[in-house]
Order: sequence, then structure tokens, then C-alpha cells
Amino acid sequence: MNLLMALAVGTLFGIGMFQILRRNVIRSAIGMVILSNGVNLFLLSTGAYDGVVAAYTTASQQISDPVPQALILTAIVISMGGFSMVLALLYVLSVRYKTSDSDQINELKY
Amino acid sequence: MSPVLLITLPILLPLLGAPLAIFLRRNHRLQSYFALGVSTLALLVSLWLAWTLRSQPSGLVVQLGSWPAPFGISLVADPVSVFFLLMVQLVMWSGFVYSLGSKEYSASYPTYYPFFLMLSASLSGAFLTGDLFNLFVFAELVVISGTVLTAISDDRYGVEAAYKYFYISLLASVMLLLAVGSLYIAYGTLNMADLARRISESPDNPYASLAMIFLLAAFMVKGAVMPFHFWQPDFHTAAPTPVSAMLSSIVVKLGVYGFLRMSTLLFLEADALAVLRGVLIVVGVTGVVLGGLAAIGTFNAKRMLAYSTLAQIGFILVGIGWGTEVSLAAALIFSFNHSLIKSAMLMIAGYLSSRAPVKGATFTNLTGLGKQLPAAGVLFFLGSMALAGLPPLNGFISKFWLFKSGVEVDRLWILGLIGFSGLLTLIYTLRAFQKIWWQADETERQVKKGDSLLAPAFLISLCILFGLWPERLVELAHAAASWMIDPAQYIALVLGG
Repeated sequence: MNLLMALAVGTLFGIGMFQILRRNVIRSAIGMVILSNGVNLFLLSTGAYDGVVAAYTTASQQISDPVPQALILTAIVISMGGFSMVLALLYVLSVRYKTSDSDQINELKY
Repeated sequence: MSPVLLITLPILLPLLGAPLAIFLRRNHRLQSYFALGVSTLALLVSLWLAWTLRSQPSGLVVQLGSWPAPFGISLVADPVSVFFLLMVQLVMWSGFVYSLGSKEYSASYPTYYPFFLMLSASLSGAFLTGDLFNLFVFAELVVISGTVLTAISDDRYGVEAAYKYFYISLLASVMLLLAVGSLYIAYGTLNMADLARRISESPDNPYASLAMIFLLAAFMVKGAVMPFHFWQPDFHTAAPTPVSAMLSSIVVKLGVYGFLRMSTLLFLEADALAVLRGVLIVVGVTGVVLGGLAAIGTFNAKRMLAYSTLAQIGFILVGIGWGTEVSLAAALIFSFNHSLIKSAMLMIAGYLSSRAPVKGATFTNLTGLGKQLPAAGVLFFLGSMALAGLPPLNGFISKFWLFKSGVEVDRLWILGLIGFSGLLTLIYTLRAFQKIWWQADETERQVKKGDSLLAPAFLISLCILFGLWPERLVELAHAAASWMIDPAQYIALVLGG
């Protein structure tokens, strides 16, 4: 499980980083989402699967840690809000600048 | 008032006021006065909290939902947090006053005041919380409300600036989350006091240095520190005036607060602390030089002031980097005075740009307009003297204390740096002053009706007040610094041991 998690987090980070560095603003925004999902998976791997049953139940086996799950729930909601904000801004940008090339969205110089 | 109310009200009042203000959107006048009222209440509660702390110097703590300390979220009002809280609420209040008198179109949007209140709530929350993940949530709220307020700006480049800021800040939040995750793996807790205790028990966990680097990067972006400052001048230029005054003065202090907590509470192991302080001093000195030089090369009053923030934050970082009691106090005094001066200066720049025939803060646009606006000239002159650090204004007090702490740790080069930066500051502010108030206007333009000068006048008079009678401020800062020097007090306060 740990190896699988590490591989998944690594892959998501790799793809996300690659996409972030692209010139197209839409692709780089999607890269940001992939990256934040990679981070969410990293948070999950900090201990959510250490136990076998859910926390706060009557089962007597080893319980899994509820804190990382609470953390990613919050992080997912925040990154969802952040991404919708990014999309809204991108929409206005595409209307005003008529381009998705980040090199051409450069009118703020002085 | 009970401690629970005292600590939660500075966050809760604006947080609840924001949705209530949306319901008042039909009546804009009522909405703006409602927002000002909420902000006044929050300021009064913060003052009350500071007053309570005088008789109870060990600080107050609230465990939300009555969960005991390391498990629940604690709100901590120690001298450091309260110092920053006072600063935030004071400057936010003046921002509301400026918005009331502002003729900007964006200030009449129905969601303008709700997001302004949200900014206030999230900043107070970020300074009061004792939980690292909660800090992330509040920091994200600061970013989102700041972005919305900039994206609705009258400036047509507002959206571009907002996108740049939001994108970079999302990356910074990713860093912050990675740090949170690393610390959780290593130490199994996110409460800052508990983290500090456990890190000092086993400091050579490899995840600790990883978390330190991620936190450093995240707070550098939040505080617009030198290598990560590139979004800041654009953002502060394009934002509506009251918003840019808030962003350039108190929002960047979030990074400063983060560095303070990192270097006096979390990472106290000798090697890590040496690296952290070394990095802070290096980026601080580079920021002072680069910010001053870049401000000289600008053609826009607001952009000039944004670069000057870079230089001033550099001084604060040098103070944190030395890490002695006096230098920490100097960093706090510097932060407080800088937020007063910088918000006042940006408001004056916005006042001028709103009165110019063609709106905008570029020097070509403002040249020669000052003849018709003499009151703003007096305030701008006083503000630039304070920024350069000349007595009897409060900028002198902050630079004096920084110099004093430099002498104590035998770093006399700080005098050269202060002198150099003061010279650069005088060059760029007086160049702006000369262009706007002394140069003749060939085209004989008439100024139009614009923003009110009440809020910058209030802030500049505070600058004079704190320049002439700085004792109370210095006392508060010293109390906070002597509190920070001994992290065991913070741990004992939160964990109740």
C-alpha cells in the first residue's frame, strides 16, 4: 500500500509540475489541480490507512487515524473553491485578452 | 467579558458580518455603514483584549468546542498575536473609512464590503490560531478575498494581477499543505505548541527539515520576500486603493508572522535555526537593496510604494534573523510602523489618482496636479519622511531600534544599510513629490471630485503620534519579544502544563 501510494503521489506531482510549467494558462491551471490532488493523496498517506476499521466505532480492531481524513476533506473543499476561482478568472482573461498564451497576458508592466 | 468572547469576537464579528452585509446589498449606504460598524466593534474588542493582557501577561487561550489542547483547535492570544491583531484591526478600520469616502466604482459593488470584512476576519484568524492547519485555512481565505477584491478593480489590468497572485498563492498553499503533512507524519500533531514540544524532543527527524523548507517557501510567497516577490508590485498596483493599502501593509505581515513563529517556536534546534536565520538575513538584505533600486525605476506611484514594501519587509526579516530579544522587538515595532505608513502612503496615491482627470497613478498622469491639492502634499511629505526614517516620525523609531539591536549583536553594517535604504527612499519619494507638487502642469487640467482624505490623515497623524510618544508601542513590542524568547511559556499556555 505504501509503495502504491508513493508511486501515485509521485506520478501526480510529476504530471502536475510538468503542466504547471506550460505556456497555456488553461493547461497550467489543470496542472495546479493535479498538483493539489497529489498533495491531498500525500495527506491521506500520512496515516489514514494505518488501521483497519474506521474511527469512533465499536469494532475492537486497530482503528485508522481520523485526522488526515478530516484534513483532506477541508483541503479538497478549499482546492475546489480555489479552482473554480481560477476558472472564473481565466474566463474573464480569455474574454479580455483573446488568448490563452501566458506570454501574451503581460500588459501589466508599469 | 469572558476570554472566550474576547478571543473569538475579533474573528467572529467580521465573519458573521460578511454574510449579513450581503443581505443589505440593496441599500449601499446602509451596507457600508454596517461594515464600518462591525469593523469598529472588532477594533474595540481587540483593544479590550490587549487591555486584558496587561493585567494577565501570560496570555489567554480558548480551546474551541472544549476539546483539550493537542486534539482540538486552540485560539491563542499571546502578546505576539495580540500585537499583530491590533495592527490588523487598526489598519482595516482605516481601510473601511477610506472605502466609505471612495468614489471608486468597485467600492459600490454589492460584494465589496462582505469580502473586505472577510479579509479582516481571516487575517485576525490567521494571527490568533494556534493550529498549523487552521493557519492554512485562514491564509487561503485571505488569498481568496484579496483576489476577489482585486479582480473587481476599476483598473483594467485587475484581473491579470489577481490571476497572477492567485496562481502563485495556490502554489504556496500546496507548499504549506506539504509542510503540514510532513509535520504530521513526523510528529503526529498539528497544534503549534505541541509541535514545538515534540520537535524539541526529537529534532533530527528528516521530515522536520523538509517541513521547514516548505514552510519557508510558503511564507516567503505570502510575505512577498525577495525571490518570490514578483507578483506583488503588479498586484498592489492594480488593486482598488483601499484594498491595495491593506494588501501592502497587513497582508504581507502574514509572512512575517510565520517567520516569527518558525524561528522562535517551531524550529529551535541549533543547526536548523542557523540555516533559517541565515536565509532570512540574506533575503532581507537583498530585498532592501533590490526593493529600493526597483522603486527608483518605476513610473507609477502605487508601484513605487509596492517595491518600497519589499525593502521594508527586508528590514523586518533582518531583525527576525538576528533573533535576540531587542531585535525581535525591533522587528515588531518595524512591522507596526510600516503598516501605518505604507497604508497611508498608498491611500494618498489612490486619492491623487482618483482626482486626476484620467484615472491612474502613473507619474505622467499626476504631474502638476498637486498645486490644486495642497493638503495631500503635506501628508505625502510627512509620509515619505516617515518611510525614509527621519525623526520625529515613527519610521525613525523603528529604524532606531533596529540599529540598537544591530549594535548589540555587533553588526554595525546595519547602519550602512539603513542609511543606504533611507537615501534610496528619499530619492524615490521626493522625486514623486517633486513631480506631483512642484512641477508645473502645462495642460492646465482641473482635478475632479474623488476620494476623501480622512483615512490617510488619520493614519499620518498616528504616525506622528507614535513618532513623538512611542513608549507604549515599544513597551508592547518588548513584552511580545521577551515572550517569544522563551517558547516554554507559549507551550505551557496552550497545553496547560
